[in-house]
Amino acid sequence: MSLDREFSEDGKELTIFLEEKFDFGKVQDFRLAYTEGNDGVSSIVINLQKTEYMDSSALGMLLNMQKSLRDSVQSFKITHCRPQVLKILQIAHFGKKFDIA
Amino acid sequence: MRILVVDDDTLNRFLLVHMLEQQGYTDTFEAEDGVVAIELAKRIEPDLVLLDVIMPEMDGYEVATMLKKMAGDIYLPVIFITALEDEKSLARCLEVGGDDFVSKPFDKVILAAKIRAHARTRLLSKKAYEQNKQLSFYRNAVEREHKIVEHIFTNALSVDKSFTRYLDYCLNPASDFNGDLFLASASPTGGMYFLIGDFTGHGLASAIGALPVSQAFQAMSKKGLSLMEMAETINQTLLMLLPDDMFFAAAIVEINNTGKQIDVWNGGMPSLLLQDPSGKIVKRFASRHMSLGILENHEFASEVERYEMQFGNRLVAFSDGVVELENEQNEMLGDEGIEKWLNDQPDINVEGFLSNATKYLGSKQRNDDITVVIFTSQPLEPVVNKGIASKVPLKIVVELDAKHIKSADPIVDLVSVVTNQLGLYGIHSELFTVLSELYNNALEHGVLELDSTLKQSDDGFFAYFTLREEKLSALESASIVISAEYRPDENALSIRIKDSGTGFKQDYMSKLENVEKSYGRGISLVKELCESVEYTNKGNTVDVVFKI
Repeated sequence: MSLDREFSEDGKELTIFLEEKFDFGKVQDFRLAYTEGNDGVSSIVINLQKTEYMDSSALGMLLNMQKSLRDSVQSFKITHCRPQVLKILQIAHFGKKFDIA
Repeated sequence: MRILVVDDDTLNRFLLVHMLEQQGYTDTFEAEDGVVAIELAKRIEPDLVLLDVIMPEMDGYEVATMLKKMAGDIYLPVIFITALEDEKSLARCLEVGGDDFVSKPFDKVILAAKIRAHARTRLLSKKAYEQNKQLSFYRNAVEREHKIVEHIFTNALSVDKSFTRYLDYCLNPASDFNGDLFLASASPTGGMYFLIGDFTGHGLASAIGALPVSQAFQAMSKKGLSLMEMAETINQTLLMLLPDDMFFAAAIVEINNTGKQIDVWNGGMPSLLLQDPSGKIVKRFASRHMSLGILENHEFASEVERYEMQFGNRLVAFSDGVVELENEQNEMLGDEGIEKWLNDQPDINVEGFLSNATKYLGSKQRNDDITVVIFTSQPLEPVVNKGIASKVPLKIVVELDAKHIKSADPIVDLVSVVTNQLGLYGIHSELFTVLSELYNNALEHGVLELDSTLKQSDDGFFAYFTLREEKLSALESASIVISAEYRPDENALSIRIKDSGTGFKQDYMSKLENVEKSYGRGISLVKELCESVEYTNKGNTVDVVFKI
C-alpha cells in the first residue's frame, strides 16, 4: 500500500505520512513517496504522527532521501513524533540533519 | 356496564331494573337501603349508581358521599332518582357529590339518555386512569433504570483526580445524562491525554456511546498510543455502534512530558483556544475533521496539529453548549463572546465560565450540556502510567524456520506479546527497535549473508532491498531463535537471538556518530538502548540486556 502524501497549495511543500511501522518493508513505498511528481518541491515534511515502530533502516531511508534530493530540496522536516520515536531520532543525532519538530 | 339501583321501594326498584333491561343493561344489582348499597358496591364495583334520596337508616346524600369516596380517582356517576322538587334539595344532590338527578316518576327516555352520557364519561375516566397507571409504572421503571445506568456511568467515567490537578474542568449536563464527555488519562511516557466531546443530542440515548469511547480511550492511553490511532479506533467503534443519525464531535489532546508540547486532533468541536497570560488568543485549534462515527475507515483523516506552548499559557476547550448559549434577546454567545470573556478575565477558571454563562442566560433556560476544560502549561511531575509490571519471571522463545522467516515478520507480534503480558506499555517502540535490529542483522547478515556496504547510495539501498527479497524467497533451510527472558528482580529483559548462518564480521558495526552513512547505525542504536550487547559464536548469537 502506498503512503499518504499531501502537497501544499503552492506545490512547494510535500508532506509524507508514515504508517505505524516504518522499517525496511517500506523501502519502495517511501522512495516512491518522495520521488514521484516532486517537481517544484523545495520542502519535505515527514509526518510521523502514526509511527510507533521504527528501526535503523528507516533512519537509513531518511538519510538516503536527503542525499538524493539535496540539490532540489532545501528543507527537510520530521514532525509529530511520538515521544518514544523522538528518543530514537535523538539517540541517532538526527537533529543535526533534520529539523525535528 | 354494571348498574347499582338503590331504593327502599320494591316497586321503584322493579320499574328501574325493568327499564334498564329494555335499554339493554342487564348487569344490574339492587340494594334496599344505604348500608346494603355500600357493602354491595365494595364487592361488585358498579359503573353507575341510581340512588333514591329519602331512605331509612342512611339517606341518599350520605350514600353518595361514601360511594364517591370509595370510587377514588375513577369517575363513578351517581344519578339521584328523587320525588323531591324543591330547589334546595335538588341542589344538595349535586353538592354531596351526585352528578345528576331525575324526578320521580322518571321519564324513561331522559333517564336512558343521561345514563348513556354518564357511562361515556365513566369510560373516559377509566381509560385515563389506566393510562396514568401505566405512565407512572413506566416512569418508575425508567427512573430505576436511569439510577442503575447513572451508577455505571459514574464509575466508568470518573476522572482520575491524581493527575487532573493540571486540568480545570467541569461537566454540566442539561438533563440527567450527558451528551458531553470529558476523559483524561496519563500516558506511559510521562505526559497525559484528555478528550472533550459531545454526542448529538443529550439524555440517555446520547450518553450510551460514552461507555465504549471511554473504554477505548483508557486502554489506548495506557499504551501511550498516538492521537491518530485513538481517533481512528474510536471512529471505527462508533461507526459500528451508533445509528446513522448519531455521531460524536470530539477533540483529543495529548500533552507530552514537558508540559509544553501539545498535539490536538479536533473533529467537529468548537476551536480550542490558546491564550497567553494577558488574555490574548495566540492560537485557535479549529476543527479540521468530521465528527467521529461518520466516515468509513478509508475516508477518515486523522491529521494532528502540534504546538509548543509557553509555560503559563492556557489551552481552553469547551463544548458547543457554551457557544450556543442564548440570552433573553435570543442572541447566541458565539465564539466571539467566549473570546471576549477570556480577554476581559485572562485568568477566568471554569467556575467563572459557569457563572458568566448563568449571567448571560438571564431568565432563560439552558438546553444543552456545558463542558469546559482548561489546561495551564506547566512542568508536569511524572504522572507515569506504566502499569503494574508483572512480578513473575517469564521466558518467551520463538523458533523460526525458513518457512516462517519467509512469510512472517515476527517482531511486532513479539513486542505486543511481551508488553501486554507484562503490562509494560510505553516501552514498545524501543523494544521494537532493539528486536528489529537484532533480528534483521541475524536474518540479513547471518542467514542471507548480505553485505551492508551495498546500502551506501539510494540506488544501492534499493538494490540491497531487491537482493534481500531474492535471497529470502530462495531460502530453503535456516533457523532463527529469539528468546526473551523477563527478570523482574533486575527489572530487565534478557534477549538472545541465534541464527543458523555462518557468522558475520564485527566490522559492520560502525559508529553511530557517522550519520552520513545510511547503514551500520543499527547496532549503535541497540547499544544506546540496551545495558549490554554481546556478540558471540562468530556473530551467530547475540545477547542483550534491555532495562525496563
